[in-house]
Amino acid sequence: MNDYTDGEFLICRTARVIEDNSTVFVGFGLPQVSAMLAEMLYTPNMIQLFEFGAVGPQSMIPYLRGTMGGPSNCYRSVKWCSMTEAFSYAAAGYIDIGILGAVEIDRYGNINSTMLGNNYELPNARFPGSGGGSEVASYCWRTVITLKHEKRRFVEKLSFLTSPGYLSGGGSRESAGLPTGTGPYMVVTSEAIFDFETEDKQMRLIAVKKGRTVKDVTDEMGFVPKISGNVKAIEEPTKDELYTLRNLIDPYGMVSRGKG
Amino acid sequence: MIKNDSNDFRLYVKAHKKRALVNKLVTERDAVAKFVSDGDYVAYDFSSLTRGPQALIREIIRQKKCYLSICAKFTLAESSLLTGAGCVEKIDVGFLGTIPYINRAVESGKVKLEEWTNGSLSLRLTAGAYGIPFIATKAGLGTDTIRHSSAVISKNPFTNENVLLLPPLNPDVGLIHVQEADIYGNARVYGPTVSALETAMASKKTIVSCERIIDTSEFRKNPSATTIPAFCVDAVVHLPFGAWPGGTQGYYELDKEHFFKMSKITDDVHMNDYLEKWVYGFSSHFELLDYIGTESLAELVKQSTIIEGYR
Repeated sequence: MNDYTDGEFLICRTARVIEDNSTVFVGFGLPQVSAMLAEMLYTPNMIQLFEFGAVGPQSMIPYLRGTMGGPSNCYRSVKWCSMTEAFSYAAAGYIDIGILGAVEIDRYGNINSTMLGNNYELPNARFPGSGGGSEVASYCWRTVITLKHEKRRFVEKLSFLTSPGYLSGGGSRESAGLPTGTGPYMVVTSEAIFDFETEDKQMRLIAVKKGRTVKDVTDEMGFVPKISGNVKAIEEPTKDELYTLRNLIDPYGMVSRGKG
Repeated sequence: MIKNDSNDFRLYVKAHKKRALVNKLVTERDAVAKFVSDGDYVAYDFSSLTRGPQALIREIIRQKKCYLSICAKFTLAESSLLTGAGCVEKIDVGFLGTIPYINRAVESGKVKLEEWTNGSLSLRLTAGAYGIPFIATKAGLGTDTIRHSSAVISKNPFTNENVLLLPPLNPDVGLIHVQEADIYGNARVYGPTVSALETAMASKKTIVSCERIIDTSEFRKNPSATTIPAFCVDAVVHLPFGAWPGGTQGYYELDKEHFFKMSKITDDVHMNDYLEKWVYGFSSHFELLDYIGTESLAELVKQSTIIEGYR
């Protein structure tokens, strides 16, 4: 029996992907809370970047959804700058990790955050669009994608390719002109963890949540991923992680319990 | 699609941007009446949550400007309000959020979109500001986003690699809310700038609203802190709480309760109720502030406890 939500699981697991002394481009909501948790427990020397122009903030807790570019989120930055400058750090190769969410994802880690449906002009559902997602996915050395594990989100073909993964696999990302050595690094879902195969760049299942089988996970996907010969069990969130998240970072459950 | 080339903009600047130190202080009504025309392309940024030009946006709605195009880069509620009020014909999308109204408006075909990214719109403004004829980048390559934009995939003439060429953006109108300005238009932004300087430089008509007016000698005491020089600016409007319901760093916090109310607007009925009450219902920003009341405003000031770097 789980005593944590999918959101809490995602946040805790994403936090563990971040390495200390790395530079991290952080999106809003879940990525932000994951970065806060990592900074408090594991990676005190990480350097966060926000697209509107904050370099190295040590954001105040608790997390408040409305703060964005405001003082509590930008607290104790080492520099404030323009958006062009902020993205330029990534474009010039200074940013190690980017963390992004997704409405839809395909087997090559391409992301849709724009619209659903066959007709762009009259979408079945419209979403925010790229925001800074395309820049993060194009320029950061390693992109980490976090999303809820739902069949409708893992699709063979995206309604719209908003932010690039490995495009059609192999060397197609580089051929399109995107920077060498970049691309999706890991996909963290509420049920599983995937990486990407070195040659054909397809998504590969490497770990499943404790108590789940490989079949449980792949049944809830719209395509069959590659499967590692050694699928591991994902450790549950620790008491420390859950305590820090629930009591210090997100006491109102805005992100971890969807009360935002 | 691209209306102006860099020569057009230079010639406009030569003819219209005032070099002389003249007092540009006007009311928001006069600024919008004089400098915003039907059909204009309007750019602004930072979000509805922080240091956005909300009072100026409300005045545009109040004056029922129409057929506007807007640059929705790192903005939130404005796209919904301007679309809901019938002011907008087309949106260049960086990010569309977070009021569900705008998503429904797009789904019903009420507003035209062109797809960009926050980074590419910033670069386009940078090119517009720097007088660069176009700017080459990488982000956007391989995506569907650029297929719905006027960006062009080309070859780098020096290396033959694929590049994405972006046209400069020179808006008709730039709206920027700042903490401090003098009466001539010198202006200081404290905190992340997003594209404050680029928007001021790149726009044909630049309106700055500010929390406080300071003396010009203050700029000369600390030139490193100046964000925008006066000759880029056409009008200065003194609008305390000008970012409300958003916050302004060093002055007051976001009005969370009001923002929560806005974020529930889903359809035209809700939208019309909201606009009637909070925009058309007042003849000026100061009348609105009177209605909100000093006690509520003081509470937002009280919540603004972090001042490091913002003064």
